[in-house]
Amino acid sequence: MSDSTAVLTGERAPALAMARRFRLGGGGAYFYLLPSLVFLALFTYYPIGFSAYLSLFRWNVLNPEKIFVGLENYLQLWREPLFWLVLRNNLFYALGTIPMTMALGLFLAVLVNQRLGAARSLYRVALFYPTMIPMVAAAMLWVWIFNPGIGLFNYYTAFLGIPRIEWLYDRHWALPAIIIMSIWKNFGYFMLIYLAALQGIPAELYEAASIEGAGAWRRFWRITFPLLTPATLFVFIVAIISSFQVFDQVFVMTQGGPADQTNVLTFYIYQHAFRFWDIGMGATLTTIFICLLLVLIMLIFRYAGRRVYYEAD
Amino acid sequence: MRRQWLAGLMALGLALALLAGGVEAQQKLIRLTFYYPVGVAGPLAKVIGEMTDKFNKEHPGIEVVPVYSGDYDPTLQKVQTAVMAGNPPDIFIVEISELPTLLAMNAIIPLDEYVKKAEGGKYWEDFFPAFRENSVVRGKTWWIPFQRSTPVFYWNKELFKKAGLDPEKPPQTWAELKEMAKKLTVREGNEIKQWGVTVSGGWNDWLFEAFVRQSGGWLINPEGTKVNFASKEAVEALEFWVELMHKEKVGPPHSTWGSTPPDFVAQRTAMLYHSTGILTFLRNSAKFDFGVAFMPKNRTFGAEVGGGNLAIARKIPKERQDAAWKFIEWMTSSENAAAWSLASGYVATRKSAYDVAAMKEFLAKDSRYLVAREQLQYAFGKMMAPNFQKIREILKKQLDDAVDGKVPPKEAMQTVQKQVEAVIKR
Repeated sequence: MSDSTAVLTGERAPALAMARRFRLGGGGAYFYLLPSLVFLALFTYYPIGFSAYLSLFRWNVLNPEKIFVGLENYLQLWREPLFWLVLRNNLFYALGTIPMTMALGLFLAVLVNQRLGAARSLYRVALFYPTMIPMVAAAMLWVWIFNPGIGLFNYYTAFLGIPRIEWLYDRHWALPAIIIMSIWKNFGYFMLIYLAALQGIPAELYEAASIEGAGAWRRFWRITFPLLTPATLFVFIVAIISSFQVFDQVFVMTQGGPADQTNVLTFYIYQHAFRFWDIGMGATLTTIFICLLLVLIMLIFRYAGRRVYYEAD
Repeated sequence: MRRQWLAGLMALGLALALLAGGVEAQQKLIRLTFYYPVGVAGPLAKVIGEMTDKFNKEHPGIEVVPVYSGDYDPTLQKVQTAVMAGNPPDIFIVEISELPTLLAMNAIIPLDEYVKKAEGGKYWEDFFPAFRENSVVRGKTWWIPFQRSTPVFYWNKELFKKAGLDPEKPPQTWAELKEMAKKLTVREGNEIKQWGVTVSGGWNDWLFEAFVRQSGGWLINPEGTKVNFASKEAVEALEFWVELMHKEKVGPPHSTWGSTPPDFVAQRTAMLYHSTGILTFLRNSAKFDFGVAFMPKNRTFGAEVGGGNLAIARKIPKERQDAAWKFIEWMTSSENAAAWSLASGYVATRKSAYDVAAMKEFLAKDSRYLVAREQLQYAFGKMMAPNFQKIREILKKQLDDAVDGKVPPKEAMQTVQKQVEAVIKR
């Protein structure tokens, strides 16, 4: 009996029983959650609340005394074209990275899940390698890869007859350059998650499908893809969050330039809070950032959550 | 058994008491924290470490602990955070344009009392006037020039020869610069193989100010109360940039501060505007002969200074401030100013530093290091104002947009004027 069939049969009964016991004693669960709740409250919820509070003040290096201004900071942002450019950049970055990274992660996970013999682990490690490099180091590396004169990227594309691109120095190509780098950096992580999920799919399903005469394409869409939906949901949420968290690449590679074409929300917050020393505005942006992220994740759980197929249900 | 235990405990207690006494005795030593950034390439953290070690050995009552705090920006952040938290570093170096911000935060003390007495009263006069400018505000001297630079002009003599130009004659004027840049730009189809001239990005706001000076204008008055971005001279400077980078396409509109020196070394650009601070890097890396010259003039030669100054925190006891001054005076003595210049490539801040034997010996070998000092006669203080970081961002955005042809120069500079005025008046 393989592990996967054990999952499908009654062998998980003790676990279920345990879960029921906990559900009965709900108070117990809260008790055990208390330490982490306290920790979260001190280091997450309190700062979030405090920054929402600070967002109602004018407080910067030239006004060291906090002045209550209500929603003025928010209105000021609403009228600030740069703020909208920053949001547009974030959206562009999300659209550029998320689908591509997820697709690449899934595709490569399916590939390295095949019987590749001894080379299999080699492939996996090779594909996962970029993920293990610290982001700042990777970003510094890519500054040189994207260098228009002596960089590797233009060196290779020249062989294909593609005209040279100024990449990070070109207002139109700087953000795509960061997107390319981020895809390279992140797909390995998603591949790993997909790979783990793939190994949880019972081989019998594929055997049965093959006997029924289903081709590889059909097997993928009828078995693999539906059974991967929990992993896909997880990957999707992680991808969205990390797309909003993009900072290191921008900080190292462009500092938001040229002409703010790569300025994103986190960097914009950083500029206000730690460069302009405008705490009020930094807090306002942080509050907006958190609300945006919460709304997005709620929407995903609402709509995408329904389509997820959990085999146990 | 029990008695032994007690005896042991007592011995331990005694030892602890002694130890505490020892610590107390040691506390009479004044220990100063010194935050410093490294703004140019090179193992300068090591040099600073060696200098402070030497100072500590010569001054038994004081121990300066140097803390490398990153680039200029992170250093300012760390200082600001520490000041706001009421626990500032005793001594620190930040970028010179931040003086009004430091004053707004009431972060540093004036040094006039110390400066007056130093070296028999001759100390301050010995600094180059252009370097002194960013120190004096509201009639007081706030900090001491330390790691100071100015932009200069580099040209590749080999590429000049290849283009049929006299390799010993760099451009003297903007017009000559433009003509030479055209000849030095190598195109292959739509692709540019070699730029004529690169005005380095990153600190392009700093270089821009030099171009404005060359037109005879200025951007912010020394008091930081008046701004002049929409002036004829400023618009003229930006128009010239747009001509080079957008209309003639003989220079890249965008680049980063760190990437253009390697570009110059790789012969990707024939001429380069950058800090004096990269001269040693170029000298060690370039496989061709190159020269250093004044930045070409428009109406006049013009430059402005840059770099970082040494300051003393306000919210520390007087005895610590006195000790901090001893350190600053020592770090900026003629000998040490010369040693620091030789180790770093920064311009020595004092006239007498050029009389130090080691300096003379070095300059005899490579006179290119003298260009920056000579150019100082045309140099001014760097613009400064409260919340300078924000002003920089505003200016850089418009510069970027203008050289991409998105906004006409005049309109760009008017936008800067309006936005900077709003920042200053807040």
